[in-house]
Amino acid sequence: MAAKVNKKRRSAVQSVVCPLIFGIALIAAWQTGLLHIVLNTDEYVLPYPTRIITIIGENSDKIMTNVWASVQVAVLGLIFGSLLGYLIAIFATVFPKYGSGGLTIVSAFNAIPIVALAPVIINWTKDVSSEAEVRSAVAKVIVVTVVSMASMSVNAYRGLTELPPFSDDLMKTYAAGRLTEFVKLRLPNSVPYIFTALRVSVPGSVISALVSEYFAEYITGVGRQIRENILIAQYSTAWAYIVTACIIGIVMYAVLMVIEAIVLKKRR
Amino acid sequence: MNVERIKNAEIMLDNVGMTYDAADGKKVQALTSVTMDIQKGEFISLLGPSGCGKTTLLRIIADLLQPTSGKVLIGGETPKEARLKRKYGMVFQSAVLYDWRTVIKNIELPLEIIHEGKAERRERAVKMLDLVGLSEFANHYPRQLSGGMQQRVGIARALALQPEILLMDEPFSALDEFTREKLHIDLLKIWRKTNKTIIFVTHNISESVFLSDRVCVLSPHPGRLSAVIDIDLPRPRTMEIRDTPEFTALVAKVRNSFEGV
Repeated sequence: MAAKVNKKRRSAVQSVVCPLIFGIALIAAWQTGLLHIVLNTDEYVLPYPTRIITIIGENSDKIMTNVWASVQVAVLGLIFGSLLGYLIAIFATVFPKYGSGGLTIVSAFNAIPIVALAPVIINWTKDVSSEAEVRSAVAKVIVVTVVSMASMSVNAYRGLTELPPFSDDLMKTYAAGRLTEFVKLRLPNSVPYIFTALRVSVPGSVISALVSEYFAEYITGVGRQIRENILIAQYSTAWAYIVTACIIGIVMYAVLMVIEAIVLKKRR
Repeated sequence: MNVERIKNAEIMLDNVGMTYDAADGKKVQALTSVTMDIQKGEFISLLGPSGCGKTTLLRIIADLLQPTSGKVLIGGETPKEARLKRKYGMVFQSAVLYDWRTVIKNIELPLEIIHEGKAERRERAVKMLDLVGLSEFANHYPRQLSGGMQQRVGIARALALQPEILLMDEPFSALDEFTREKLHIDLLKIWRKTNKTIIFVTHNISESVFLSDRVCVLSPHPGRLSAVIDIDLPRPRTMEIRDTPEFTALVAKVRNSFEGV
């Protein structure tokens, strides 16, 4: 027992304290200009952390508007993609004949780079609305949906089909129907796999939302602001958006971790 | 087949055989012409080394496998009919508890499947848990229990539907000697209280002698029933019976009945 606690404590040190020290050291090097010497750059291209924070403070209203635009796209796409991916996994489980082939196609989508996917989808959706804001939003949500769908369908399929040994025999000895087996065994068995998928697709949804903004017709979102500000050589403002983008990703991942810890608490 | 036999036997096996198609196109005889009757309330062991077809035979009785030859009747019905009437309770090599359910919820699972009311479900599950002596662990999760306790929950769950026949597939093989011996005593107590027909698959000779009314010895290559040995030790059996010369003699008799191992 003592050894176990000790081990836990050591892994906490490794997973929290070490990265923290590394982060603080990096920021210290950055603020003191040491990082600029190492990277052979200047404070114009790479502004000091304090300067970036000041800019975030000064532009907080505008930044929040863009954060809201990006988060909406990421979350909506994540929800649609995950639901669609799970439905595909259910279909593949119920109809194994078509299922495995379908899953291969879906996971092939995952291999398409977002920079290739985004322009195509933006081109497809140019007639869905007369307003540029709406049709751009639709296109971006579809990009995120496609990206999120792939990881959910593959992982959920594993959760629905890779059952613990004898657990399906048990259902059979109780003369349980297919629906009962699905609801009482396969669905609950797939829950941890849903989180495995989300660990990939939550960061993926943020990245694909930001990248698809680059190609969108309507200018909005954190990703697009990074690009726009670099184009006009406003590096400090661009950096403010880069930091904001990091925070979005980290916060969404942290929210996922909290939900996962609550939902899977009893299983581990 | 004579009518008298059908009437008396709870489980009747008539020339049951099982042939698998191996990967290289050859036929593998897992089981050849097993014929035997099992009476209501009997405790039967299927004993043999790996590859003797004992688990195959159990799964045929449970309707989890279809025999390629011969016939099985359960109280005059096919195994499938018996399974659909939920005459079987099955205990597997591992406890097969659903880790997202508490202990009591695991025992309630079969009762949920037959759409038993909530109150009745709980009442029955509590009773079963009491039978295996784990009442205080009702709201624990499976991972919080030891292997022996998990297997006891598995037994309680198998009994929840009050099946006529309890099928046990090497249920204690993963447990340590001390836990196993304790569970032997517990299982015999449960058997006496509930009066089930039990078919117990094992590769442990002394386990089969200690528990059974009859030990069915299966030999491998091909899997066949090579002997049926009556165990006429008195009941109720206690730990001490293992130290008697009668017990030792029966173990030797069983061991000597294997062919070609």
